[in-house]
Formats: sequence, structure tokens, C-alpha cells
Amino acid sequence: MSKSLSAFIYGLSAVIGIAAFAYPFILASMPEASAAGAQAAPLMTTALLGLCLLALLIEVQGEVVSAKVVATLGMLVALASVLRFVETAIPGPGGFSPIFVPIILAGYVFGARFGFLMGAMTLLVSALLTGGVGPWLPYQMFVSAWVGFSAGWLPHPRNPRLEMGLLIAFGVGWGLLYGLLTNLYFWPFFIGETAMRYQPGGGAVLALQRYTAFYLASSLLWDLLRAAGTGLLLLVAGQPVVRALARFRDRFQFSLAEAPGG
Amino acid sequence: MAERGCDLRAWIVWAGAASVLAMLTRNPLYALLLILVARLVDAACGRPERGIALPWARLALVVLLLSAIFNGLFVHTGETVLGRLPESWPLVGGIITLEALVYGLTTGLVLLALLAIFVAFNHIVPVSDLVRLAPRAFHDLGVVVLVAVTYVPETVRHLSQVREAQAIRGHQIRGLRDWQPLLVPLLVGGMERAMGLAEAMVARGYGAAASRAQQPGMLLGLAVGLSLTLAGWLLALWRGAAGWLLFAAGALLLVGLLWRQGRAVAHTQYRPHPWQPADTAIALASLLALALALWQGVSLMGYTPYPLVQLPPLSPIVGGALLLLALPAFLCPQHQGRHV
Repeated sequence: MSKSLSAFIYGLSAVIGIAAFAYPFILASMPEASAAGAQAAPLMTTALLGLCLLALLIEVQGEVVSAKVVATLGMLVALASVLRFVETAIPGPGGFSPIFVPIILAGYVFGARFGFLMGAMTLLVSALLTGGVGPWLPYQMFVSAWVGFSAGWLPHPRNPRLEMGLLIAFGVGWGLLYGLLTNLYFWPFFIGETAMRYQPGGGAVLALQRYTAFYLASSLLWDLLRAAGTGLLLLVAGQPVVRALARFRDRFQFSLAEAPGG
Repeated sequence: MAERGCDLRAWIVWAGAASVLAMLTRNPLYALLLILVARLVDAACGRPERGIALPWARLALVVLLLSAIFNGLFVHTGETVLGRLPESWPLVGGIITLEALVYGLTTGLVLLALLAIFVAFNHIVPVSDLVRLAPRAFHDLGVVVLVAVTYVPETVRHLSQVREAQAIRGHQIRGLRDWQPLLVPLLVGGMERAMGLAEAMVARGYGAAASRAQQPGMLLGLAVGLSLTLAGWLLALWRGAAGWLLFAAGALLLVGLLWRQGRAVAHTQYRPHPWQPADTAIALASLLALALALWQGVSLMGYTPYPLVQLPPLSPIVGGALLLLALPAFLCPQHQGRHV
């Protein structure tokens, strides 16, 4: 019962996430949308996503039971945030950000929920430290939490080359998707709903066309560099990091001896 | 003046009210006013060493230019035609109008206003206070954040130690591959310290209290609350008022669950922060600004240049309400060399 409820909550949160990111298109396809609704849409969408994040964090907090999880999570988040510091201090090529590598690897080794927490907490802590707290934070936390969460679903092939190939493909894919999604947050500010409705024959398709143009013009190159950087870093550091993390994971399970025995 | 400046909660009310106003307005004059107010408060109350110093002029130029040009190229509506591109060009083909450019500029200004408000907030509020803000229900996650924030400087020190140790062995950073001998010892050392920290926490009794199992009905409540908010959000986009009620009901349910979860956590505070008259004044002024602007009607906040560009309306009441947000600049200015 509780398992299927959890699955339902995560499924619903995915729907909410997609709806929140895609709301300009939803709005564009509703010609009869109320004007007041359209004006309050950015505000309400931020509130919706924030509430959804709160609910997920309550659900996932059950994972944080032992001092070991708290300490490990805290330490890994600190490490990843230092990487973010490196990024803001030395602007890398384009949108390259090393922050996804630890999130993906932590989710991959320690499981989906740990990855979820790792993604959300890393973005939160680095925003606290670099002064990036704002209404965009729930969006960033939401997406990066899903990066870590989905990394926990990856199969664990025995062949190390296959394993690395899988992780790199995963990292490159999310690197591209992250830019696509977080751009959608800024987009309605750049080109408001009103403009879309003033366009004769406007609709979801036109909005999609416009977004594609905006994306190609403003951020495709940026995102490609980010994705390539993530893939490269995974190629260089992925294998030893996975091995080190897995060794510590085994040490955890050793002390929690009652868990596998039942 | 108090030793520690104004209260965190007052600043949250301020930032909340200001950003709600920024997200609701589409009037370039109000957005400009909000930017000025936020920059003033930042200059008066902020400590610039917190967070990053943004290159403001360059940032503003880029955002404004990008949004104006983009909107101007893609929206072919309005009466003041400035020029035209061949119709055969996909998407951008058609007339270029002044109205579209003005609309783009307006949206850029709104974005900048939002940015200015939160840059100010980040400059004013110290990290340690922000962590304390975590709701009690998130006690465990709050501990995680505290551990992380505490260990960041430690990790930076550790990184430079590893780098020195590797440099003694003749290691140089030439490419990406050379980061591996730095990252792996950093990670392993960090994990070892996490183990030590965990043992120290257990020795001091962390997690020894009755297990904080999830309360019965929590998952069901979360599922229902989320469903309600999603349905309410969709309905509000479509129909307005009825959806907002549904959305509010879902939000209330979720917040109530959070509060109930929080009551299960015992919590003590080492140094409570006194709430001062200046804090009350800031909070009240912010709420008054929000209430005045909303009472004047959200429609007054809006402005659209289409179909023919006109001077945006400036209501003295809304303008005055926005100016109220500058009050903190006079109530708790930041003195040089003050102890925190």
C-alpha cells in the first residue's frame, strides 16, 4: 500500500514537473484561458512546484534515518558544492558545470532516493553559499533531484566499459535536457503569454516553434558544451569514483547487518 | 541599532512581497521602480562580501537587448511599423514593430527586478540564519544542510592539501585527466571523515530517540494534497477563481501535514533572535505595499503596448506602495565594521 502510494506521489510529481515547465504551451493551447489566470500563471506555477518539492522532501526524508546517511550525504553535498565554487570562480567552457557528475554517481551507487536528496540538497547548499537563492531555486532543485533519482534506476552492468558508456550517455542526455527545461522557466519572461495570444492563429504549435527558435538561438551551444563537459568528466573520473563510493556503500551495509538477514 | 541587524523573518516578508509584485507586474515603470528600490536596499543593508558581485550594467544590457530583439523578431503585431523582413523567412519574416520591442524590453525589466530583489536578499541574510529557517518537519534534512555548509571550507582546505601533496610528487594540472589524482583522494578522505562524523554523532546519541517513522496517513495526505493542487492549478489557468480555491485547499493540506510532522520533532534554540520594532515596521510595510497594490487591482499592474504603444500608466497609489518597500534601507542600514 505505502509502496504504491509512494510510486503514485513520484509519478504525480513528474506530471506536475512537466506541467510546470510546459505551462506556456498549455496556456497557448487554451484560447479561452482567463486573463487573470494568465497573469498569475508564473506565480502559481512557482508555488505549485515549490509545494510539490516540499511533499517529495517529506516523503523522501524517511531515507535519512541513520547518522551514517546524514554524514555521508552532508559530506558529498559539501564536495559537490565545492565543485560548483570551482565553476563560478573559473568559468569553464560554456554551460559546463561539474555539479551533475557527483549527483549522477551518488544516485547510481547509493540508490534512487539518496540520489534525489543529493540532487536537491546540492543545489540548495550551493545556492546558499553562492547567493543564488530565488524563485528559480525550486525549479533547479526539482530538476537536479530528478537527475539523481533517475540515476538510481540505471542497470548495473558487470562490464566496466559498458557501465561507463551507460553513465556517460546518461550524463550527456541529462546535460542537454537540463538546459532545455530550465530555459523554459525563463522563457515566459522573455516572451509573455500575451504576445502569444495576440498572434493570429496562435496555439501550442506556434509556441513550440517559437521556443525552438529561442532555444536554438540562445542556448543550444551552451547546453552542448555542458553536456560534453559532463560526459568528459565522467569519462575521466567516473570509474574510480564509482569504485570508491561502492566500497563505502559496502562498509555501510556491513554495520547494518540486520537489514539483509531480515 | 541592534547588534545583528533586522530579523530574518522580516526580510523574508520583504523579499516575498517584492517578488510577488515583480511577478505580477507587466508595467515597465513599476518594474523600474522595483529595481531601484531593491538596489537601494541592497546598497544600504547588504554586505557585498556575501555571495557573488554581479556585473550589473553588463547583465542589464544583455538581458534587455536579448529580450527586446527576440520579441521584436518573432512577434509581428502592432501598429508602429519600423521595418520588415522578407515574408519567406521562417518565423522571423514579417513586420518589425515598436510595440513588440517595447514588450520585450518590459519583460526584460521584470526579469531584472526579480534578480535585483533576490541579489539584495542574498547580500543581506547570512547563510547560518537561512539554514535555521528550515521548517521543523525537515529537521533531518536541516542537519544534512548544516553538515554540508560546515564542511565546505574544510573540503576546500583538504583540496589544497591534496594538491600540495601531489605537487610534491611532481604532479601538474595540464588537462582534465590530471584532475583525477586530486578528486579521488578528496572523495576518499571526505568519505572517511563522514564515517568518523557518523560515529561521533551516534556516540552523542543522534538517532537514539524513538524512530521518526512516517506518521500514518502521511503518504495518503501527500498524494491527495498534490492531486488537489495540480487540479486547482489547471482549473485556475482555465477558469480563474474556482481553481484558486481548489489550489489553496491543496496547499493548506500540504502545509498542515508539514506542520503536523514538525510537531513530532523536539527542538531547542541556543540563541533566540529578538524581534524588534524595526522588524515589525519592515514586515508591515511590505505587507501594506502588497495589499495596496493588490487592492488597486492586478489589472492596474498590467500594461500591454499592443496594439499601439502608449505611455504606461502610473498610479500614484501603486507607485507609493512600491516605494514603501524601500523602508528597510532607512530602518536598518549596515554599518561598516559591525560585529555579526
